[in-house]
Amino acid sequence: MLEALGIGALVLAVLSVLFLVALVLRRTSLARAERRRNELEARLRPLALALVDGDEVEERELSAEERAILAEAIGRLSRSVSGEARERIGEYFAGTEAYTAEVGALRDHRAWRRATAAYRLGDMGCPEAVPAILRRLDDRDPDARAAAARSLGRLAAPEAAEPLVHTLVSGTVPRAIAFRALLDIGPGTLPVLRTLVHDPDQDVRASAIELLGWLGDASDDSAVIEGVSDPAAEVRARAAGALGRLASADGADVLTRALDDRIYFVRLHAARALGQVGEHAAIPALVRQAREDRFEAARAAAEALARIDPDALLAAADEPGAGPHLHEAADLLRV
Amino acid sequence: MSWFHTLAIALATITLAYFAALNVVYLAFTAIAWRDLNRHLRARGHAPDDEIFSSPVTPPVSVLVPAYNEEPTIVESVRSLLGLRYPLHEVIVVNDGSSDATLGRLREAFDLVPVRKALRVLLPTAPIRGVYVSRRHHHLWVVDKENGGKADALNVGLDVAGGELVCAIDSDTLVEADALQRMIRPFLVSSEVVAVGGTIRAVNGCEVRAGRVVKERPPRRLLPALQAVEYLRAFLAGRLGWNRLGGNLVISGAFGLFRREPMIEAGGYLHETVGEDMEVVVRMRRRGRRAGTGEQVVFVPDPVAWTEVPERARILARQRDRWHRGLADVLRRHQGLAFNPRYGRVGLLVFPYFLLIELLAPVVELVGIVAVVLGLLFGAVNIPFAVLFLLVAYGFGLLLTAWTLVLEQWTYRGYGRLRDRVWLLFVSLFEGLGYRQMTAVWRLRGLIGYLRGRREWGVMTRSGFTGDEQPSA
Repeated sequence: MLEALGIGALVLAVLSVLFLVALVLRRTSLARAERRRNELEARLRPLALALVDGDEVEERELSAEERAILAEAIGRLSRSVSGEARERIGEYFAGTEAYTAEVGALRDHRAWRRATAAYRLGDMGCPEAVPAILRRLDDRDPDARAAAARSLGRLAAPEAAEPLVHTLVSGTVPRAIAFRALLDIGPGTLPVLRTLVHDPDQDVRASAIELLGWLGDASDDSAVIEGVSDPAAEVRARAAGALGRLASADGADVLTRALDDRIYFVRLHAARALGQVGEHAAIPALVRQAREDRFEAARAAAEALARIDPDALLAAADEPGAGPHLHEAADLLRV
Repeated sequence: MSWFHTLAIALATITLAYFAALNVVYLAFTAIAWRDLNRHLRARGHAPDDEIFSSPVTPPVSVLVPAYNEEPTIVESVRSLLGLRYPLHEVIVVNDGSSDATLGRLREAFDLVPVRKALRVLLPTAPIRGVYVSRRHHHLWVVDKENGGKADALNVGLDVAGGELVCAIDSDTLVEADALQRMIRPFLVSSEVVAVGGTIRAVNGCEVRAGRVVKERPPRRLLPALQAVEYLRAFLAGRLGWNRLGGNLVISGAFGLFRREPMIEAGGYLHETVGEDMEVVVRMRRRGRRAGTGEQVVFVPDPVAWTEVPERARILARQRDRWHRGLADVLRRHQGLAFNPRYGRVGLLVFPYFLLIELLAPVVELVGIVAVVLGLLFGAVNIPFAVLFLLVAYGFGLLLTAWTLVLEQWTYRGYGRLRDRVWLLFVSLFEGLGYRQMTAVWRLRGLIGYLRGRREWGVMTRSGFTGDEQPSA
């Protein structure tokens, strides 16, 4: 027993020393690598900027390390540019060693590597990568799916619209990321969304209508107005929200009627939308809702009144029995 | 063999078995932490943070700040919270009937004006005296209420909050600007996640400007420096280990992010306990498991917040005493979880660990020390054995601490100066030479106090991020 303890104490002492040595070595090597990297990046940054800006650059042979750092620097720049600059980035990467390596890594057995590859390909801006990235939307790893969705948005790939709406509905990609990706794709999604608003699945209809509110135009009013009468409450609520964003004057009557919907969150979205549309005719109905409805719907009605007609809100708040929501909205208006 | 020898051998065997079990657990946690931390850092390379930040459907967050006599730190804390990088967040400070100038400082600093706020009363709380909004920051609300304790103030915050997620934060905590962004991801990935915690570090010694830590430095004095090392180990190894083995039971009261609805459905924070932060997590997990609505509690290892640790032994003693009373109370209230297969790993693994290891650790440690001393006095203990055992115990503690420091440097690389790292390593030499034993005494005192029915919070002292110590909550 004593011997075992003695050996144990010795092993612990040796391990502790080893850890401390590892600590010192690791810190030193990391600091050195970081310094070198920063130096190289500072040296290559003008080249990266010139390539993105389309300026003439002096051709010179780069080492593998420099090429990797340049690729990363350009990838980062691509997050803050659009239009021709992004196209130039795509052209720069097309067919390069870095691009081919990342496309190959989409099939790597390590989940983090697949996710990183999907992410980097989005920054590289090569539209040829879209089919390979699309397949990663079905990856078993949630990070790889999220990175793929994000990159499909970065690449503004219209063919990704339908699969992205389905990931949005199924929840296989976080809603915030899939939604952002669809917005990044932009008007390219509209043909698909206009078809999906008639989908038999109510969740698909709801998402498509919501996105039409963000991306659509006046020609989408009728489809969205139709959505306010959908049998599914979630679709009605999202359609009301979409009408507000489209600022559809034709939808104002429908929204005012939706203030009487039996489901409170439809009334809530209808009130918010009326505030965005600025519908004066809805003021009496909004005052009633602000006084009598459930908490969230009443608050939305009071906030809508503040947007439509501040004087009407102040007058309603001074009436007897105005209720807490009108008081709050009036006080906030004064602030 | 005399009865005394038999007793000494029995105690020694229990202590040895306990020591072995404890260290195997710690070793396993550290190994898991090593693996998961590297995985987490790799994932940061492909995290779609910009997309989350700019997405119109990213859930809004309400930051709840209960404040009782926080005059020295409140303005700086609120400033740091107003500057959080997050697309949609509101800050709700709840002044819990402070007897100092907490409210006055807030009114003056943020130009507060009273409003007639519409309030849902979803949770019973002490009466609200008034609600204020800032003219300068429209997303800053201050609720002034009668004193009812921290849990009561947090429940008022839950009532007032408009966000789908709520972030509970101590008013003496400074938060990293991107803390919410770092902690939001688990909620987006799974609807079963009900709470997320992050790494909290000691702010003592750091350079703080405009509510932000601008230079990360270890505390200069020994006692807070020991706590800084302790915090590193507890968060990096302990909580990350539990992430893998069934999830955490604790989200630090200093900084935690919760889904609001399940928290309210579970009844909010409990007034009658001093361990309200742990209690609400256990209750949410229990309820979520029973209802099948999700009960995951996730720990994100990124350093997200900085808290002031006690500089004086007297204050630290009170804190550890209270923490242990809180632990004992939570474990008693939820004893039905212990070894209950209905609650899965929480019932079979996590809860028993807290019961047998965390709660009883000070008892076993101190009994072990007393047994060794008595054994030596009466010649019942083999001296070379005792010396070697102590060396092994000390060496193991040192090894775990060194490993944690290496882990931290390998990954986050805080404490940039060489002399800071050397200081922390030097400090860790003293952890097993008095500090650990001292905290064991305070924790045991807490346990005894709990068994005797002591339930009060006790007075804490805040130094402020730049100034002299002042009594506080």
